[in-house]
Parts: sequence; structure tokens; C-alpha cells
Amino acid sequence: MAEDSFLTDDLLRQLISVGEVDLLVGLPSHNNAETIGRAVEAIEESFQRAFPRQRVVIVNVDAGSNDRTSEVFLNAVPRKNGNSRGLTSLRTEHRVVTRYENPSSATVFRTIVATADLLRARACAIVSAATPNLTADWIGNLLQPIYRQDYDFVAPLYARQRFDGLLARTLLYPMSRAIFGKRIRELHSTELALSGRLATNCANQNVWHDAPIQDLPQTCIALTAVTSDYRCCQSFLGPKLRPAHVSAPDIVTAVRQAVGALFWCIDSQDSYWIDRSGSEPVPTFGPDHELTDEQVTVNLQRIFELFRSGVAELSPILKAIAAPDTYAEIQRLETLDERNLCFDNALWAKTLYDFAVAYHRTLLNRDHLVQALVPLYRGKIYSFFRQHAASSPSDIEADSENLCLELERQKPHLIEHWKVNSEVKP
Amino acid sequence: MSEVVQSLWYKDAVIYQSHVRAFYDSNNDGIGDFPGLMQKLDYVQDLGVDALWLMPFFPSPLRDDGYDISDYYSVHPSYGNLEDFKVFLNAAHLRGIRVIIELVLNHTSDQHAWFQQARSSRDNPKRNWYVWSDTDDHYKDARIIFLDTELSNWAWDPVSKSYYWHRFFSHQPDLNYDNPEVFEAMWGVMKFWLDIGVDGFRLDAVPYLVERDGTNCENLPETHAIIRELRKRLDAEYPGKMLLAEANQWPADVASYFGNSDEFHMAFHFPLMPRIFMAVQLEDRKPIVEILEQTPQIPDSAQWCIFLRNHDELTLEMVTDVERDYMYDEYAKDKTMRINLGIRRRLAPMMDNDRRRIQLLNVLLMSMPGTPILYYGDEIGMGDNIYLGDRNGVRTPMQWNGGWNAGFSGADPERLYSPLISNPVYGFQAINVESQKRVPHSLLNWMKRLITVRKSTKVFSRGSIEFLRPSNHRVLAYVRQYEDEKILVVNNLSSSAQAVELDLSQHKGSIPIEMSGRNLFPRIGDLPYLMTMGPYQSYWFRLRRL
Repeated sequence: MAEDSFLTDDLLRQLISVGEVDLLVGLPSHNNAETIGRAVEAIEESFQRAFPRQRVVIVNVDAGSNDRTSEVFLNAVPRKNGNSRGLTSLRTEHRVVTRYENPSSATVFRTIVATADLLRARACAIVSAATPNLTADWIGNLLQPIYRQDYDFVAPLYARQRFDGLLARTLLYPMSRAIFGKRIRELHSTELALSGRLATNCANQNVWHDAPIQDLPQTCIALTAVTSDYRCCQSFLGPKLRPAHVSAPDIVTAVRQAVGALFWCIDSQDSYWIDRSGSEPVPTFGPDHELTDEQVTVNLQRIFELFRSGVAELSPILKAIAAPDTYAEIQRLETLDERNLCFDNALWAKTLYDFAVAYHRTLLNRDHLVQALVPLYRGKIYSFFRQHAASSPSDIEADSENLCLELERQKPHLIEHWKVNSEVKP
Repeated sequence: MSEVVQSLWYKDAVIYQSHVRAFYDSNNDGIGDFPGLMQKLDYVQDLGVDALWLMPFFPSPLRDDGYDISDYYSVHPSYGNLEDFKVFLNAAHLRGIRVIIELVLNHTSDQHAWFQQARSSRDNPKRNWYVWSDTDDHYKDARIIFLDTELSNWAWDPVSKSYYWHRFFSHQPDLNYDNPEVFEAMWGVMKFWLDIGVDGFRLDAVPYLVERDGTNCENLPETHAIIRELRKRLDAEYPGKMLLAEANQWPADVASYFGNSDEFHMAFHFPLMPRIFMAVQLEDRKPIVEILEQTPQIPDSAQWCIFLRNHDELTLEMVTDVERDYMYDEYAKDKTMRINLGIRRRLAPMMDNDRRRIQLLNVLLMSMPGTPILYYGDEIGMGDNIYLGDRNGVRTPMQWNGGWNAGFSGADPERLYSPLISNPVYGFQAINVESQKRVPHSLLNWMKRLITVRKSTKVFSRGSIEFLRPSNHRVLAYVRQYEDEKILVVNNLSSSAQAVELDLSQHKGSIPIEMSGRNLFPRIGDLPYLMTMGPYQSYWFRLRRL
């Protein structure tokens, strides 16, 4: 298929019938027949409750399911909201389906934002069909700030178990906050919302084929909103459950995708952040964050061993990436036993910045470079688990804040090294 | 023509609703009258309608525009006398125009002699003709209909020192149908007018005839029994005459008033009307399709009465809260436009005087299942005056020409029963019959052609309806069928051009013939039938197998 026609003729035919809309909800799916029906119910319930007058459409972009996901999507019966005579929304609630065989996430997201652009949607939410506990409130909380309050980008906030989302807590959030200056906690979530303006901007970007964002294009969307000075906010959605039969991606994959996308954005948007310091909060609807207190079982021994073996194996690579003092400190950590290993915030901040600079300079294959961070990340979360085994949620939150501040404090160090032998892109 | 076909005249009719007072003043006293109405029958006939529905013309204190009747056996002196009515009726019949009159069964004026006697003492023989109580505790579940003016359905009578029941204004006491004398009295009234020659009755406020504790006092079995008895007597003694129910209820509740062809011949489809307006504003067929799909089947001899506007507010009782809010926001932004649970505006102003939208609504009216009713003045796009109070703003004098008093009356303008519409957009200088008669493509002439086309077939009046469901929700398409005849109706509800693919596989091989120009369209084949439509455009196609 030619690059300029990634939207299928069948999808276009459906869009002609739908016409201009006020609200669009994109629903990526892949073998989600079990959960997509509930998702449709939740979305349409939200339409009926919060947007009964608006022109609405749900766009299911299916990644080649073989479990009749799209059929379930089209045939899901909307839940009645108790109105007399069974009348619900004033308008026709459209459902549109398009399918690709094994598309990247970037293709799926691009299809949704391009559809929002074509239909001139004022607000577009994207939610995962796999989420088992999607509710009407989620949809309302994502769309309302854009539709009613003129925001351009809504990042979700979740209630999390205190050791859940550690990649975001120890890396993605602190680093993106320090560099881009906006305190947005969830940059890579499967839920987000954007305005028609931002959708148009994203649809017209020439980045959709860039390898680093193929798996997590939402990071790019979020940072486009930040760096183009769109109005950003966060909206609390509540707890997010993982689909019963879907396991979390392994650490290597998670780091490659999330950190790879973040580093790519940092590199490509340096003209935005290079002269900025500090960070500012973004408006937040609902609680700023919520940590729950459940106990979890973690195999710390295994994490420790993987840290040590990884650092040992990747020693030449780490030496090439990290600044000498950073590398020396990492070497020192590798020699410590389990009880004494502590990857503190200062070293972690320095390490991340060294990796970002190395990525910027393409000292080695960028994908390999990002993967080299994995053992160090293991060292960091090992320290985190040990430090916070008995911590309260507020202690954990305070430590996270300290990490953020440390990264903000060390940002001049990043800028100094970034500018050496490089020109900041205009 | 067979007796059966003749007796079903109401199913094929197009009805024109007017108030005697508003149509034409023959004696220059500022108030329309029966001799005036008679003078304008040629106009009514030329329009192509089959029947006139006249609002109450009985003696009345006119505190509710005549729905507060003080004498059922006469004509209000402002409109003439009984002889004038008989002459008018004869003239209408000579032109093939039937006449339907109002009959308010549920209540009288408090000035009616029956009520005056009833309140005079608790022992008066007429006392039990009304609903009295020493307390206002009964029938608590009955809603108050005129929310803007009434706080209770009970009113204190200082004369007889007790409460009387009223579902509408407090000066309109409800008759007591538990008393057989009341029923016989009202049947006597009906016989009186039937003997004179009227062709049918629009029975006002039907659901409220009987009260029972523990119910909402609407649609009770006892009420249906009363209607059945009236119908039985009507069929036996006056075959071919018609009863039309005013029951502002959901279709399933109204449908019960058709009974087994033994109650009303016709009933208004109230919930459809606001949804037609809603669909056009939303540019979405959903409200119309949804309500018609909820409309139950009715007996073959029965018929829905459908309308766009009438003498009352555009009632929003039979809509959800969300729908009502939407209607208010879109069609009655100025709160003066609102009254009770409705909107007191005429068709043209509600459509922002957009000729295309006015035509679209009339096309929908003329092509949907039921007998259409046109409200006087809407055929020329008359405006309203929302500042006249109550619903008087949609009851202003008919605008016949651009001259003195719009050609309605030779009286001094100050003497007219109501000010004329005089603003630059809708005023009589701009909107009047005479000027529109002279312009071939005026709204008036377009309406005449529309009525002519509608009456060229019985499909619209008697046929079934099957909705097509093209993926383009802005297009409302349906096939009407009666016996072997089929008509495809396609309406673009939106303000922009639309493409639509219709699944007409059931009609493969048919040739669509557009009914107004009689032009042939491509034969229906295997592929979806592609049509492009301009803003608010409609087509009626006769589907011919040739």
C-alpha cells in the first residue's frame, strides 16, 4: 500500500457515512473478544450520560484478531441508561472498524489520529480494548477536559499498587519531567485523549515510520503536546487491571520500547528543552496520584543476580556509554553484596543522562544502547524494593519526588555534555 | 365508492386546522366568523385539503381560547350563530370538504349552567355532575398538567365550600363520568351536532375522563369503556362519522384508544412531532426511526394523526429530559418562547425561515404513516408573536394580503382580536396568500403540489413503512407500500450535501420514478443504489416493475 493511503478504502467509505463528529474514541484491539464488548458498553454509556447531544463515533482498529473481536465490537448491545422508553443518546452512535494484519502500534495510533483529523473531531480518546475494567467514567474523565475545558492533551493517572509501574516511577516520569519541564506522570499509557488540533498536528507529523516509536507512539504524542505548547492536563481514572490472560512485558522489552521512545523524543526535541530548567505541574482532575498498600512478592535475589551479571557482561559497552566517574561508581556497585547494594538517586540521574547523551551521539547502535540500560535499571529497582519494603505510600512518593528533583538539579550536567561536539537542532 | 371505503375517508384525508376567529372577519368587528370562513372555502379547497378541523366555537368566557365551554348547543356570538354554522357547513360539503369540530368532554367552563347549578348547593341535582370533595387529598398521583399556572388539581369553591377537581385550569371543572347522566348529556351534545351534519369530533383531553385513587388518573379502563360506548352509538346511528382522540401519551398508551376498532378512529401521534424537529436539528434520523419503531400496530381501520404545529405549544411532554433540554436549547433559546412543557412557536420561525427546512418538514409530514394536519398559516410560512401571552402568539389573524389588516378584517387595527404579525420578516406585508399565489414557486404553491402528489396514491395514507438503514445517518429513507404499490422516500436531514448508498436489493429490477417531475431514474440493480442529495433535499420515488 502506498504511504499516502494507509487508510483503507473501506474505512474511508465508513467515515463518509459518519461525517463530522464531536467526539471520537479509538479502540485498538488484538484478540480482545472477551473484553471489547464491555469496553463498547462503557464508551456508549459515557456518551449517553455525559455527551447525549454530541456526534460520536467509536473507531476499532484491529490488529488482525482471529477471535472475532471486530464482530463482538459491532454487535455489542449498548447498555440502557434507564431513560424512559429506552431512548438514550439523541444521535446515532457510530461504530467503525478497520483491520490491519500485524500493524505496529504506531500504525494503529496513526489511524486513529488521522481518523480524528478527517472527521474533525473536537476530542479524541484512545483506550485499550484489553483493559478489563474500563468504565464510562474513564471515558468521561478523558474527554471532558478537552471537550468542555479546551485542553489539548489528557494523560491518565491511575491508582497503583505501590510497586507497580516502577519504570514510570523511577525513569520515565522523573526523566521526562526534568527534561521537558512538565509534570506528567504517564507518558506511555494505553489511555490518553487529545484535541482535534493536536490530532491534526500528530497526523501530519513525519515520524510515524521512525523505529523508536513503533511500539509506543503515545510517548511521542504526549511529548508533541508538551513541546508544541498545547494545553496539557492529567485526569485520574482509578485502578487499572491487567487483562487476566496477558502477562506484563518482560523488562528488556519494556525498557526497549519505553526508554527507546523517550530517548528518541529527547533527541529529536532538544531545541525545546535545552534552555529550560525546573518543572511545572500540569492541571490535574482528581487526585494527583494514588498508591495502594498491598504486599507483593518479589524475587530480589534474582534481580540482584541479573544486575551483577548484566553489568559484568556489558562492561565494555557501559564503559563506552557512561562518563568515567559514573562508570567507576557502577563498577563499585557491582562488587557490593546484596545487603549493601544501593543505587542512589544521584547516581541513577547521572547514569540516565549519560545514556541520553550517548544515544544523542549514537555512540553505538541505539537499540543496543537502550538495552544496555536494563541491568542498571534492575539495580535501581532492586535498591527501590529494599529501601521501600516497609515504606508507606507517602514515603515512596517522597523518594520519587527526590529523584525528580535530583534529575532537575543535574540537568545542567546533561546540557553541558549534550552540547559538546553537537549542534542543537533548530 | 363503497360504503367501507367512504367510511375510511379520514385515513386518506389531509386536514387543515383553523380557528374561526383567526381566519376571516366578514362583518368588520375584528373577529373572524363563520360567514368569513365560508368566503374562504375556495382557498381551502384550492389548497387540496379534504377536511377542516375547527377549534372550539361555542359560547365561552374564552379564558382558555374556547376550550372552556359554557354552552355546548350554540355558537359564540362573535363567530355568528347556529344558522351561520349550518350555511358554512353546507358550503364546505358542497366543495367536498368535511368538517371536524372540537368537543371538550372532560370539563366545562365554570360559567356553564351545569357547574353554576352544581355549586349552588350540595343538594342540587347537577351537584354530582362534577367531582367534589371536602378535602384535597384524593388522586394525589395525578400530575399537574398546566405547571405554569396551577399548583393543584383541586380548587376550592367558596360558594359550596368544597373542593372540585380540575385537570386543566381551575376555571375548568372536570365532569363526573361516574354519573351516567353526564355521559348521556354529552352524547346528547354529540347527537345535536351530528344531526346538523358535522363529520367528526376531535375529543379533547380524553385520557382524563375518570379518576380513581391509587392511579395517575389517566387512561383508566373506565375511560376506555366510556369511549367504547360512544363509538358504539356513533357507528350505529351515524356511520361514516369519525372520532379523533387528543391523548398526549406514549404511542403504546395511545394505541389502546383504538381498542379493537371499537374506540377512536384516529389519535394524534404526539411523540413523533418533537422528534421530527429534533432529527432535523440533529441532522440524524435516529429520533424518528426510534419512535416509529416503538409505535405499535393499530387496527386496519384506525389511523394516526400527525402534525408539525398546531394551536398549542409544541408539547415536550412525551420526550425524555435530555431531549427536552435539547429542544429548548435549540428551538427556544429565548425563555419567552417556552410555556408549560413546550415551545409556543410556529413552524417557519422554528426553522429560521429556511425554506428548505420548512419544505423538508412538510415532506416528512406528508410521507409518514398517518393523516397529516396542516395548521392554518403554516402553508405560507406565517410567523408568531411570542410576546402575546399564553399560546396566542400562534393564533394571530390569517395573512391574506399586504393591505389593510392583512386582508383579514376591515375593522380598525386596534379592534382586532389579536395584533397582526408585522415584523419585516414574517409580517403580513412580506408573508401573505395573495403574493404567494402570484409566484409559481412560492411556499403556498409548493404546498399545493406536495398535497396533490400525496393524494395521487393511497400508499402514504394506508401503506406500511419499512426503514432502510444506510450507513449515512443523516439520510432518512423508507419504503411505503400499499397493496402492490411501493414508494421510496429519501430525505437528507442535513444542511450539507450527502452521498448515500441504499440497500434496495428487495426491489431489484424496479425503476424509480421521481413523483413530482415523473422522471425516470436508473433501474435498481445488484449494487447498493447510490444517491447524492443536496441540503435538506427529499425524493419520492414510485418503484415500478416494468
